[in-house]
This record gives sequence, structure tokens and C-alpha cells, in this order.
Amino acid sequence: MTPRAVSSLGFGLGLRPQHYPVILDGAPELAGAIDWFEILSENYLVDGGRPLAMLMAIRARYPVVMHGVSLSIGSTDPLDMDYLARLKGLAARVEPAIISDHLCWTGVAGINMHDLLPLPLTEEALAHVAARIDRVQAFLGREIALENASTYVTFTQDSVPEWEFLRELHRRTGCRLLLDINNVHVSAFNHDFRATDYVDAIPREAVAYIHLAGHEHNGTYIIDTHDRPVVEDVWQLYAHAVRRFGPVATMIERDDRIPPLADLVRELAQARSLAASALSRPAEVA
Amino acid sequence: MDLSRIEHTFQDGLLGRSQDILRQLRGNARESAETMFAVYRNAYWSRLAEALGNDFPALKALMGDQAFDRMARAYIARHPSQHPSIRWAGRNLPAFLAAEAPYRDEPWFTDMARFDWGLAFAFDAAAAPAAGLANLAGVPPEFWGSIRLRFHPTLDAFPVSTPVDEARPRLLENAAIALDRQARCARAIMVWRVEHDVRFRAIDPLEHAALEAMQAGATFGAMCELVARQAGLDAAPARAAQILQGWLEWGAVAIVEHDELGSAA
Ligand SMILES: [Fe+2]
Repeated sequence: MTPRAVSSLGFGLGLRPQHYPVILDGAPELAGAIDWFEILSENYLVDGGRPLAMLMAIRARYPVVMHGVSLSIGSTDPLDMDYLARLKGLAARVEPAIISDHLCWTGVAGINMHDLLPLPLTEEALAHVAARIDRVQAFLGREIALENASTYVTFTQDSVPEWEFLRELHRRTGCRLLLDINNVHVSAFNHDFRATDYVDAIPREAVAYIHLAGHEHNGTYIIDTHDRPVVEDVWQLYAHAVRRFGPVATMIERDDRIPPLADLVRELAQARSLAASALSRPAEVA
Repeated sequence: MDLSRIEHTFQDGLLGRSQDILRQLRGNARESAETMFAVYRNAYWSRLAEALGNDFPALKALMGDQAFDRMARAYIARHPSQHPSIRWAGRNLPAFLAAEAPYRDEPWFTDMARFDWGLAFAFDAAAAPAAGLANLAGVPPEFWGSIRLRFHPTLDAFPVSTPVDEARPRLLENAAIALDRQARCARAIMVWRVEHDVRFRAIDPLEHAALEAMQAGATFGAMCELVARQAGLDAAPARAAQILQGWLEWGAVAIVEHDELGSAA
């Protein structure tokens, strides 16, 4: 499996159907503003129609990353080989720079809860997930990237922090990490640890790309809603991450209450300039 | 508990079947495990209900937001999603509405759900070029009786007993619109896609019977006989030809097949 030069991807956005027309119109203000798009893989695991046609038209102009939500790498149900075959078929058409999903499970007993559910952080879970990553990577013929999900509970059996769990998965399987900076911030608040401890424990070469997003703060806990702009604390954590990881592919992820593309482009420009200044003046920004 | 037990117990907690998972969980310095687990449980039900609302927009407008949400949760409890894409979670909803009290007493609900689902299916089902009237022009008259059709892969057709085809666009424009809920009709709705545009059309029961016969592989000759039994011998040829031409004009047919000179009679 060849490592990919993902740092060269630059700054991207999650592709959302509301934005198909303005992206394909090629509005001049978009020129150079968006380097790549991340697609939600499941939306295109279909047989035909407008979504696939739009995707292929956009793919002709931009690099694309495939991001899934149904791999369920941590589930104790068997791997869904039919799903994986469809994913592989889509990858053959799209030729994505990266294929990613989440460190989570989405259901057992044949049910899909359509949520990113938390795993106990134990040696048993680590061995289970690592073995499944090996099988998935062998089947797809390439490495995958796994994202840290926001979590709201921890397990009494937990024996390692999440960052060690991820680091060990990377070490055992060669899988990459999709580091969601917002999710680190959310989980840090929800579980009372320091977000920078998490970021500082992630090996530089493990990070495939970074997600930035917004959330909803309820006072005593934070819900990862991905439905609003990135908050100041997350920007600061991002600057910290860039100083640690160097130039790393970064994108803004908005899943709900989707604003006009121009708003997201503005937020992406903010990420771009923050990363540039974090890299050029590390001490000052710190 | 091993990982498998943990996951089954966690899921049972989300589904409201057991609270046993709470003993395995920690909250944080401010909130109990119970409160934090409820974040997942609430998210599960509201996410699925919201997804159903997206796939059944006219049914939601027809029922009203609160009644739809109640119905959606009852449906999800009975039919948890089993598909990697949340977009298929509503697959059993029309059948659920047709079978369950009190929904089964309101035929508008089942009909509208069926209509919403047909449109969602056609949206991203497999693509295929459509045949046109030109494909008929090339058929020698003596072989018309042997014509068989392969319909467009996006085509869905189903009977309704309420005029949901007329009501749906109006409801989507304004959910508060007054509908005559006593209105009944005997018709079917065809839904299919041309290029990227989803189309629909109401057809009468005779045409629906003809469609079902030809979907099952009947020849045009057999379809004419079916039409003759209901419309009478005199009217049948013109009516059958008109039906066939309509399907081709609308782009609902993918391939026209027929016998040729030298092929088996
Ligand atoms: Fe994310």
C-alpha cells in the first residue's frame, strides 16, 4: 500500500447537494478558493441519477475524498461485505485521494443505528478493530483513514485514553487518522481531559487530514452538531495542531443548516490563513 | 462484559429495551452516565424521524409535524434500519401504514407514503436510455402483436384510492391547505425518471392492468386482448395503441423487442 501525498490536497469542503449548481457554474469567486471536496460515500452508493452525475462532473474538476459513516469498524457483527464491495466500486469510479470512516460502531444484530457509537477503550476492542482494519484495507487494496468521533460517555472498563487507542491502531495496521479538531474539543470537554494532550499524542505521519466544524454547547456538555461555524477554541486547537503536524489537508464540515457556499468558502479562507500564520510564526501564534 | 455484550446492551439501551448499559458507563464531572447516555438515545430517535421526514415530505405535510413524528417513532420501533444508507430506512413505511391502527383507517396516508417512496426510488435508481416512438415506427405491422417491452429501471407503478397525485404538489407548497379528505378515486400512479428529472403520471385502472401485464412479460397482442375484455373489441385496438404510444412518448420504456422475419413465430 503506497502512502499518498495528502498534504498536497490543501483546503477542502464537504460536498453538499445544495451547492452542486454554484460549484458547477464555476463562479469566478470560487477559483482557487476550494482545493478539494469530501463526499459522503453513502449518498453515492446508488445505481444512477442526479447525485452520481453531479459527483462525476465535480470530480472532473476537483480531487475528492470519500468519507463514509457505515463501515462500523468496531461492531461485533460481521463486516458488511456487500457494503464494502459497493464502496470499492465507487472508489474505482471516483479515484478518491483518501477513503475514510470513523472509529466507532453503528449497530449490532443486523440493525443500523445510523450513529457513531463509542467503543470501550480496551485491549479486546483494540485487537478486534485492528483485525477488521486489516481485512478492510486488504479488501480495498489501500489504507483507510479513521476519524475520532465526538463521544458523550466513557466505559468503566476503559484502560487507555482514546489518543493511545488511535495511535496503537495506526501502529498495528498502518491506517491513517482523520483528526476532527472539533470532536477532540467536544470529547475533551465532555470527558474532562486536555484537548492539547490528545493532539500532542497523535504521531505526525498518522494524520491524513483534518476536519473543522461547529457544535452546540449545553453548559454541562457539548453536542457535536456540525451545524454552525467553527468556534474560537477550536480555531486555537487547530493552530496548535498545524504547528505540530505541519501543512496538513484541512476541510470544513457542515452537516446541517447548510449556509450558502460563499459562507463556507469564507470560513475555509480563515482556516487557510490561520494555518499559514501558525506555520510561519509558530512562537508568536503560540 | 465482553465487547459483543457491551454493544448489544448499549443498543438495547438506545432502543429502550433495557437500562443495563448504564452500569458500564461513566458520565462526566457535571452529568451522570444516564444524562449523557440520553444524548445518544435522543439523537437516535430524532435522527431517524428526521430522515423519514426528508424521504416522505408530503406525508409529513399531510399528517402534520407532531403526528408524523409520533408515527415515525412507532415505525422505527417496529422496523429498525437494516441498510448502510439511512435513505432506505423508510422502505417498509407504506406497508406499516396500511397495516397498523390507526393509520390503516386513513387511505390518504398509505397512498401518499407510497407516492413519496416511488419518487425517492426513481431519483437515484439505475440509469438507462429511454426508447421513443421511433422504436415503434420501425416495427413491421405484422409483428406488432409480438412486441414486448422492457421498462425503464426507475419505473414504479402502484394503485391509489385517493387523489394524492393532485394533492401532493399543493401540500408541498402549503402544508395547511384544505384537502377533501373524503375524496376517493380509482387510479394508479406511474413514477419514473427521464435523465435527472423524476416524472409521474396518473393512469386509469385499465392502463395499470395493461402495464402490469407487460411488466410481467406479456406481448402487445396479449395486452390488446386484455384491453378488449374491458373496453370492448371495437375500442380495443385504438386504446391499446394509445396506451403503448403514451409510455414510449413519456420515456417510461427502455427497450422495445419484437419478433422478426425468420425468428420463431
Ligand atoms: Fe468530522
